[in-house]
Amino acid sequence: MTTSEQSVGESRAEAAADPRQTGRQLRPGLWHTINERYPGSMITKDDAVPLARLNKPLAEARVVMVSSCGVHLRTQRPMDVTHPLGYFGFRRVPSSARHDDLIIHQLKFPHDDADLDINVSFPVERLQEMVEAGELGSLSESFYSFIGYNMDPEKFEAEVATPIADAIGREAHADLALLVPA
Amino acid sequence: MSTSYLRQAIADGDDEKIIRFVRLHLGDGSEKVGRREIDKSWVEATKVLVDYEPIDRDAIEKTLALDDATLASLFFQLHFHLIKRTDGWIHEGSR
Repeated sequence: MTTSEQSVGESRAEAAADPRQTGRQLRPGLWHTINERYPGSMITKDDAVPLARLNKPLAEARVVMVSSCGVHLRTQRPMDVTHPLGYFGFRRVPSSARHDDLIIHQLKFPHDDADLDINVSFPVERLQEMVEAGELGSLSESFYSFIGYNMDPEKFEAEVATPIADAIGREAHADLALLVPA
Repeated sequence: MSTSYLRQAIADGDDEKIIRFVRLHLGDGSEKVGRREIDKSWVEATKVLVDYEPIDRDAIEKTLALDDATLASLFFQLHFHLIKRTDGWIHEGSR
């Protein structure tokens, strides 16, 4: 066996190891090298909208959740996760959905734990419980989900972020948004 | 890489930048892994064909009549479809 074959074999063995058992970070140094590996994919925004103050108690507030984990109803068409430039759409997920109704169909991040309990990435049942307990006022009818792999920030802003923001304003009538990155 | 970066590479005829992007995409951020993944999908396609199973040529001809964007996207989807058959799925997400 050559050194390179041995190296490939070792890296495959490392890849096969369950990171939950080894405690090993799946991609050490990922973010330190992202600009080198994906030149041009990171952008700087100078016109961020300031956060608004919540003007009512949480127990009276209506909450919407927005997630980049790519979750959707099992009955919905999966998002296109193989397109090299990403997928520029989103899904409405009923806030009444349960773990068994939902699936994450994604390639770019590990979601084996979320497959066992969707609340790991998309805490929909936890929010339902908080409403039942009177800790939150209510949930918007729909939550919003998209995939985080998008190589065109301008297109993403125009076709995903803005339509979600518009939908939240038009449909959700929420007092606060819980943004859940994956 | 951003789309504008790729468009510039295409305008410059800089195929090296484009293939680097493809390898990064298919290798989940590693060019070396991406190169190996590309090889794996061709190996899998060849393995499938070696037994001369019947082929639906009509379906292929109908598919090839589709628009280029659909076909190019299908090309990437077929890559992932083929390597799902292998051991050592690297993409961590759903199969």
